[in-house]
Amino acid sequence: MVPYIQARNVVLTFRPKNRDPVTALQGLDLEVGHGEFLSLVGPSGCGKSTFLNVLLGLLKPDQGDLQLGGKKITGPGYERAMVFQEFGLLPWRTVLANVELGMELKGMPISIRRQRSGELINLVGLRGFEHHYPHELSGGMKQRVGLARALATDPDVLLMDEPFAALDAQTRDLMQAELLQIWDRTKKTVIFVTHSIEEAAYLSDRVVVITSRPGRAKKVLDIKLPRPRDYEMRLSPEFNDIKANIWHSLKEELVSKGAGDGR
Amino acid sequence: MDVKELYQKYQRVVLGVISLTTLVALWEFTLTYVITYNPFFFTTPSHIGAAAKELLVGDRLWRDLAVSSHAFLWGFSAAVIIGIPIGAVMGWRRRVEYTLDPFLTGLYASPLVALAPLIILVFGVGLTSKAVLIFLLSVFPFVFNTFSGVKSTDQLLVNVVRSFGGKEWHLYFKVILPSTLPYLVAGARLAIGRGIVGVIVGEFFASSEGIGFAIAQFGDTYRLPEMFVGIIILSLIAVALTEALRKLELIIAPYRADMESR
Repeated sequence: MVPYIQARNVVLTFRPKNRDPVTALQGLDLEVGHGEFLSLVGPSGCGKSTFLNVLLGLLKPDQGDLQLGGKKITGPGYERAMVFQEFGLLPWRTVLANVELGMELKGMPISIRRQRSGELINLVGLRGFEHHYPHELSGGMKQRVGLARALATDPDVLLMDEPFAALDAQTRDLMQAELLQIWDRTKKTVIFVTHSIEEAAYLSDRVVVITSRPGRAKKVLDIKLPRPRDYEMRLSPEFNDIKANIWHSLKEELVSKGAGDGR
Repeated sequence: MDVKELYQKYQRVVLGVISLTTLVALWEFTLTYVITYNPFFFTTPSHIGAAAKELLVGDRLWRDLAVSSHAFLWGFSAAVIIGIPIGAVMGWRRRVEYTLDPFLTGLYASPLVALAPLIILVFGVGLTSKAVLIFLLSVFPFVFNTFSGVKSTDQLLVNVVRSFGGKEWHLYFKVILPSTLPYLVAGARLAIGRGIVGVIVGEFFASSEGIGFAIAQFGDTYRLPEMFVGIIILSLIAVALTEALRKLELIIAPYRADMESR
């Protein structure tokens, strides 16, 4: 069976002016099943965000084959939507208008837009904040808007680029739990980039460890925790074993490359 | 609400009014009781007030203002219509930026009023010369502010719109234009000041009407109170225009209002 998303031998080199080229991805292979929650972890600068941007269609790989549902990915498309690390909300738009951005660009009629954005604002728990501007919201609320905006165009795939990295620990825990609920309800395929082992282990069906630059898929770990997951599971010995497993795989990368090698 | 609360709420207005009236009172008092002054060279607020009353009921002042605003409107509109697109293209296309930048920066930095005699030579005495001068002075803030606005557009937001399937024109109208808008308003504020300088200089050099001409003529004939009326009216107009712009900004970009007050 052909997997829902298939990346084969993806190579991408950045060629900045006046600087040496940097190979961000070198022969990355990845398969993602429909409805799967997959996390990518790796040392910072390993190209995991780059890979997400390739999947999104904003970056073109130099080599390799990327397919989604049997079709080649050539650019952005409505079946994919991204939740950005720095939120990427338009500061001159209210919560409502930000949520509607994707639908607007898709050319959906305003009546449907209003109805859908209302539903999504409820779903992410922002009822009553429809007419607030982004600067009036906390980080967690901003990312809820980002999530609602991504869900609004009803994509099959949610690409999430360290979406909770900018949030404080408690908000982060809360957002993780809510993301799992929303995922369970909407049955999206999620590709989630994070540098937090705990987050990856808690959320995912599978965790892919990416090598340090240039990035390749080094190891794929199945997370055999039952669903739905709850916070208690994080305290179980199984969970610790999973974390240790990911950590060992990651440690080799950090040691081989030297930790703290920025982007 | 007691007096203290009232004061805190209107602190800005209260202190502003107090400082202005104090200045005027001091001016009047000093020249009336402390030192004797030569009316050829200086005057008092009460004389200015009397002159203002007279000028405001007559029709010469209004005619002059109409003539000047006519020139201002032409020059300023041309600056908006030409300056903003040039700045936008410069911000969006690097080649255009590199081509135009040296000569625009040079012109912006140089005292353009020095060109006034040349402009009058070419366009003759009258409306056209004034409008050209106003245009030249006020176009640069539009060019450079639009340019910086477009340049400083957040690349992340561009990517966001692209990722949701936005086309090129979506980028212009949904990201670049709204994020440039505050820069445009700031540019317009600068341009108003420079444009008014253009009116006055144009009318000083070559004109037989207009508020600038009136100020020069009153000065030449030692009618200082009348001259001050002209100057004060000009600054009131400049303040009114700037305030109107601020109100306009609040209407078109309400999200900036409480961002600034923080």
